[in-house]
Amino acid sequence: MQARLIRSIGPALLSVTALLASPAGIIAQDKTANVTVSSSSSDRWLHVRVTSSEDRTETVRVNVPLEMAEKVLPAINKDRLHNGKVRFDEHDMNCVDVKALLDAVRTSKDGEYVTVQGTDADVRVAKQGGYMFVHVTEKNSYSKNGKTTEKSKVEVKVPMKVVDALFSAGKDELDLVAALHALSAHGDTELVSVKSEDNTVRIWLDSKNISD
Amino acid sequence: MILAKLALGFASTMIFATVYTFREGVIRVDVDEHRDGGSHVHLWAPAAVVPMAMHFVPKEHFREAALHANEFLPVVQALSSELRKYPDSTFVEVQDGHDHVRVSTVGTKIQIDVVNPEENVHVTVPLRTINDVAEQIAASTPGV
Repeated sequence: MQARLIRSIGPALLSVTALLASPAGIIAQDKTANVTVSSSSSDRWLHVRVTSSEDRTETVRVNVPLEMAEKVLPAINKDRLHNGKVRFDEHDMNCVDVKALLDAVRTSKDGEYVTVQGTDADVRVAKQGGYMFVHVTEKNSYSKNGKTTEKSKVEVKVPMKVVDALFSAGKDELDLVAALHALSAHGDTELVSVKSEDNTVRIWLDSKNISD
Repeated sequence: MILAKLALGFASTMIFATVYTFREGVIRVDVDEHRDGGSHVHLWAPAAVVPMAMHFVPKEHFREAALHANEFLPVVQALSSELRKYPDSTFVEVQDGHDHVRVSTVGTKIQIDVVNPEENVHVTVPLRTINDVAEQIAASTPGV
């Protein structure tokens, strides 16, 4: 009787056991996902933070893993962006041969290349320790005590290798994917800082998946 | 004895269906409007249903959708497969006074939260489902 019972419900029991084992498979999958979390935490993340100067409760935070951006950018084919490259023409650059300009900067020694001190703005372009610096300070024309005050301040710090990678494509192209790849090899860096009357913008690179 | 067999068969089928459903994940949509008489929508749907249901959609609708979404489909496919590598991460967060928008991943799902004084919207979709849907639409593109 018992043997007959086991024979009849045996296959069913086996299938139930197999199915009940499936959640274990799910847990195993989750564990694999956790492994991915820990490995992805060493990835490089590009952070953008925009804070309104007037209302501190207005903020925009964007966090993008560089590896993901490298993979997704080539999939975007719209207007001038194709295969991770942006096409531009001479007209966009006011007929300035940017490649020749960058070649000159690359082969030159560290130092300040451009220093402009005007009534409207101060501009400083320099190369130092493998980085290219561009600082622009826009001034207010008038102020109450007669002294000029800062209207906006832009500070850009880009590794030269990233600039090289950016211009590594064709003559009239910017290779964004190559630039991102070059950027991922760098340590924690503050890339762009903009302080204006309206907003504060910060773009930086680190290995955290959250912005501070 | 026959009843016992039937019950066991039914139970095992139910367990199989439940396990399969939760393995694929759940699509969750929660909409709460705070005004008087505002709607409250709370939808939980097994993600496994979506790719299956898409097989019953007439092909011509897919072709039309594919034509419209053609240039975005590769981006959606790339994004949905890449985002799975970054579980529990916040990608976009916008705070504008009382308005709050957040795009993040929770495990292998994408979660979009919109919270403001008028309404709260929370949408959670398994990234695998988005990828499957994009793949099926892309496959319907004329000439593919």
